Amino acid sequence: MAEPRRPRPTTPGTGGAQGPTVKQQRDARRQEKLAALKREQARAKRNRVLGIAAAGVAGVAVLGLVVTYVVTSGEPRQDPASIDVAGVQTFDDLTANHVAGTVDYEQTPPVGGDHAAIWMNCGVYSEPVPDENAVHDLEHGAVWFTYDPDQVSEQQIDDLRALAPDTYSVVSPYPGMETPMAVSAWGAQLTFDEVDDPAVADFVTKYWKSTNAPEPGAACTGGIDGPGRLS
Amino acid sequence: MTASRLRLVIAAVLTAAVVLVVGVAIGRLSSPTAVVPGTDSVEAGFSRDMQVHHEQAVEMSMLVRDRTDDPEVRTMAYDIATAQAQQAGQMFAWLQVWGVPQAPSEPTMTWMTRPTLDGDFAGHEHGATGEPSGGASTAPAHVPGDPMPGLAGADDLRLLGQLDGVEAERLWLELMIAHHRGGVEMAEAVEARTRDREVLALAAGMITTQDSEIAAMEDMLAERS
Repeated sequence: MAEPRRPRPTTPGTGGAQGPTVKQQRDARRQEKLAALKREQARAKRNRVLGIAAAGVAGVAVLGLVVTYVVTSGEPRQDPASIDVAGVQTFDDLTANHVAGTVDYEQTPPVGGDHAAIWMNCGVYSEPVPDENAVHDLEHGAVWFTYDPDQVSEQQIDDLRALAPDTYSVVSPYPGMETPMAVSAWGAQLTFDEVDDPAVADFVTKYWKSTNAPEPGAACTGGIDGPGRLS
Repeated sequence: MTASRLRLVIAAVLTAAVVLVVGVAIGRLSSPTAVVPGTDSVEAGFSRDMQVHHEQAVEMSMLVRDRTDDPEVRTMAYDIATAQAQQAGQMFAWLQVWGVPQAPSEPTMTWMTRPTLDGDFAGHEHGATGEPSGGASTAPAHVPGDPMPGLAGADDLRLLGQLDGVEAERLWLELMIAHHRGGVEMAEAVEARTRDREVLALAAGMITTQDSEIAAMEDMLAERS
């Protein structure tokens, strides 16, 4: 901080009485300089503290982002239990006895309960299938798509058949349903008007081969064919 | 708070953050099995597709037992049906433990189109013993949505249910040999793409058993031709 050299007074002591002496002038200048220096130092210190604080905050923010990324960047998960299927109805305390003959189910189409000893082969059917055999499929973890032929178009039937999973699913007409279409699993049912309703896909993701069913993964082949099996 | 104390606090926070990041990174990078496979993972895709594949082997094998009295074929079919039903159950349970749906999140075979751990795409990871696929092709051996290798068609199954005796035996052996070859291909594909020890162990068992059963069934088929 070299300061330009001040010109020396050439005639020391002159003009003494009229103004401040040279010594006084020199003192005043020194005080001024000192004050300026202190102000400068205080400012520098403040800037340094602010700088460190800002760097610290920025650093923590960056590290926080990195930690968040590392912790959450794993494979995407989709816990079936956390899927909310809009409009789904669920049913508890279903019995699962093997019985002969017909069963009077409380739901239409049924969502579980007592059923026939032999299950029905999963697949696409063009004719109504027996409730008692289809319910056995639900027990094995299948989902059952039903439609009322009087309330849906051919296109909707095709779309429904295309949407149904290749295994562990039954698609069949069910005349007299209250709604155009429904999909049922053991203890759960969703009714819908449009095949592309996102709740339908959610239902399949949550309930297909779900452990909600008593025996998910038990055979859906090697049983009996219902009438009008297409595939 | 004085400036020096502020500096100290900032330094402590930064140090803690660095330790956390480094620790988490080391933990994740050094122990891949600590990361549970997600719904779109190779492991989940394999577990879903191989269940479907195994379920058909069970179906065919139970079917042929109803179509023939031949003890050799009935024993082999019993062995395959019970073993593959048990293995399908293992894969079902993995998906449950991993907390992902049994329902596929992607078209079948999508996991087999993913790059291998070596960074290769093509399905020739097992010594390129398969049929020539047009020279040094880098294209994936499969595309998402493809049927799984070795699956029998609905017509084959229907026919199997109508044949009797040695005719049923021959068709079942032909279908089952192709089915096992496809199963081995899928097991090799997952071996090339996962570090999960449970998945690797089951895949290795499938390859060993199904390779030996293919050889045995080829002999059985020759005896019946």
